[in-house]
Amino acid sequence: MNFLTQTLSVAAKDLRSEFRTKESFNAAASFAIVILLLFSFAVDPTSDQIREMSGGLLWIVYSFSAALILNRSFARELPNDCLDALIASPVSGAALFLGKALASFVLILLIEALCLPVFGIFYDLNWATQPAWLALVVLLATWGMTVIGTMFSALTVNLRLREIMLPMLVYPMLIPTLMAAMQLTTLLIAGQAIAGDDFVWLRLLIGVDIIFTALAVALIEVVLVG
Amino acid sequence: MRNKILYLLGIAGVAWLARNLYIIFLGLPDEAAQGAIYRIMYFHVPSWWTCFAAYFVSGVAGVMYLVKKNQDYDALAVASVEVGVAFTLIGLATGSIWARIIWGIWWTWDARLTWALITCLVYAGYLMLRRAVDEPTTRARFAAVFGAFAFTTVAITWKSIEWWRTQHPGPVISFRTGGGNMDPAMENMLFSNWGAVGLIAIVLIAVRMRQEQHLRLIEALRRQVHTL
Amino acid sequence: MDERNFTYMFYGFAAAWAILALYVLVLVSREKRIESQIDNLKRMLDAKENKS
Repeated sequence: MNFLTQTLSVAAKDLRSEFRTKESFNAAASFAIVILLLFSFAVDPTSDQIREMSGGLLWIVYSFSAALILNRSFARELPNDCLDALIASPVSGAALFLGKALASFVLILLIEALCLPVFGIFYDLNWATQPAWLALVVLLATWGMTVIGTMFSALTVNLRLREIMLPMLVYPMLIPTLMAAMQLTTLLIAGQAIAGDDFVWLRLLIGVDIIFTALAVALIEVVLVG
Repeated sequence: MRNKILYLLGIAGVAWLARNLYIIFLGLPDEAAQGAIYRIMYFHVPSWWTCFAAYFVSGVAGVMYLVKKNQDYDALAVASVEVGVAFTLIGLATGSIWARIIWGIWWTWDARLTWALITCLVYAGYLMLRRAVDEPTTRARFAAVFGAFAFTTVAITWKSIEWWRTQHPGPVISFRTGGGNMDPAMENMLFSNWGAVGLIAIVLIAVRMRQEQHLRLIEALRRQVHTL
Repeated sequence: MDERNFTYMFYGFAAAWAILALYVLVLVSREKRIESQIDNLKRMLDAKENKS
C-alpha cells in the first residue's frame, strides 16, 4: 500500500465507524445549533450589529463543535488498545495522522455546512453573496483547525485530564487561524470583497496552514512512537 | 564552583542594571514628545528581546532533545520557557503602564499587543502541559513538539508591526530602520540594558535548569527507595 | 500631566522589578523544597541500606 491509499483507508475507517454510531457527530451538530441559538439571547438577532459580528459568532460555534469532534479523533482508538494496534501496523505515522485529520475535516465541514443555513435563517442574513471566497476561507480555516486539533488530540490522548487539557492547549494555538477566519468571514458575509489590507489575513491563513501541516506531519511520529 | 560563578554573574548583572538605571534616570534627557515616561522603553524593549530569545533557545533545545534524547536539553527548554514567560509578563506590564500615559488606556486590541498576549497564553499552556505528563521522557517529547508549534506565535508577534497597521511604535533600532530614528546615546543604552537584562535572564535560566536536573535526581532517588 | 508622566515611569520600573523579584522568590522557594526533598530521600536511602 502506498502512502495515499494508507491515508485514505484510515480516513475511510474513521468515517465509517463515526457514521455507524454517529456518537460525536450528533453531539457536535446539536451542540453547534444550541450555541447558535444562545447567541440570539446575547445580541439582538435582527439588528445590523449581527452583521458586523457574524464571522466571530460563526467561528466560535465552529471551533466549539470542532473541539468535540477532535477530542474523539484519537480517543476513539483507546478502547481495546486500538491505538497501539494502529501504531504497530505498517501504516506510517504521517499517513495515520493525515487520515485521521481528513476524517475530522470532513465531519467538521459537514457540521459547518449544516450550521450556515441555520445561521442565515435565525439571524436573517444572506451569507451566500460571495460563495466561492467564503468556501475558500472556510476550507482553509477548517483545515488549519483540524490539523492543530488532530495533532493535540494525539498529544493529549493518554494524559489524565484529557478533556481539560485539549481545549486549554488547542484554543490559544487556534487563535491565528480563527482570527483570520473571523475577519474574512465577517467581510464576506457583509458582501464586501477581500481587498487591499485584508489580504494579510488570507496570507496568514495559508501560511499557518502550511506551517502547521508540515510541523504536524514531521513531528507526529515523535508523539505516537517516541 | 558552578554556584559561585552563577552568583557572581547574577551580581554582575544586577550591578550592571543599577549602573544603567543611574544613567537612564540622571544621565539621559527626557524624550521630546513623550517626556519622562519613555524611559520605560529601556526595560520594555530588552524584556521582549530577552523573552523572544528565551523562546528561541527553548525551541532549539526542544529539537536538540528530539535528536539527542538528552534530558539536559529538555531542562534547558523548560527553564527558558519559564524565564521567558516571566519576561513576557514584565513586557506586558511595562507596556501597559506606558500606554496608560501615551495612549490614555491600559490596553488596546492592536495587532502587536494581541499577538504578544497570545504568545504569553500559548507558553503558559506549555508549562501546564508539562504538569499534566508524569513520565519524564514522554513529558520531554511532548513539550518539544508543543514548543515547535508555539514558536510560530513568537514569529508572528515579531513581524506583526510590519504586517498590520498598529498603534505600537514601529522598529526604532538603526539596523532595521537605516538609522536616524533614535539618538545614538539612547540606542546604546537600550543595547547596554539588554546586556544587563539578558545576563540576569541567563543566570535565572541556569538556576532553573539545575533545579530541573535536581527534580530528576529526586525521581531517581524515589525509585531507588522503592526498590529497596 | 507632567507629574503623572513621572509617577507612571516609576510605576513601570517598579512593576518590572516586582515581577522579577517575584520570580526569583519562586525560584528560591522551589530550591529550598528540592533540597529538603533530596536530603530526606538520601536519609531514607541510607537508613534502608544500613538495615539491609
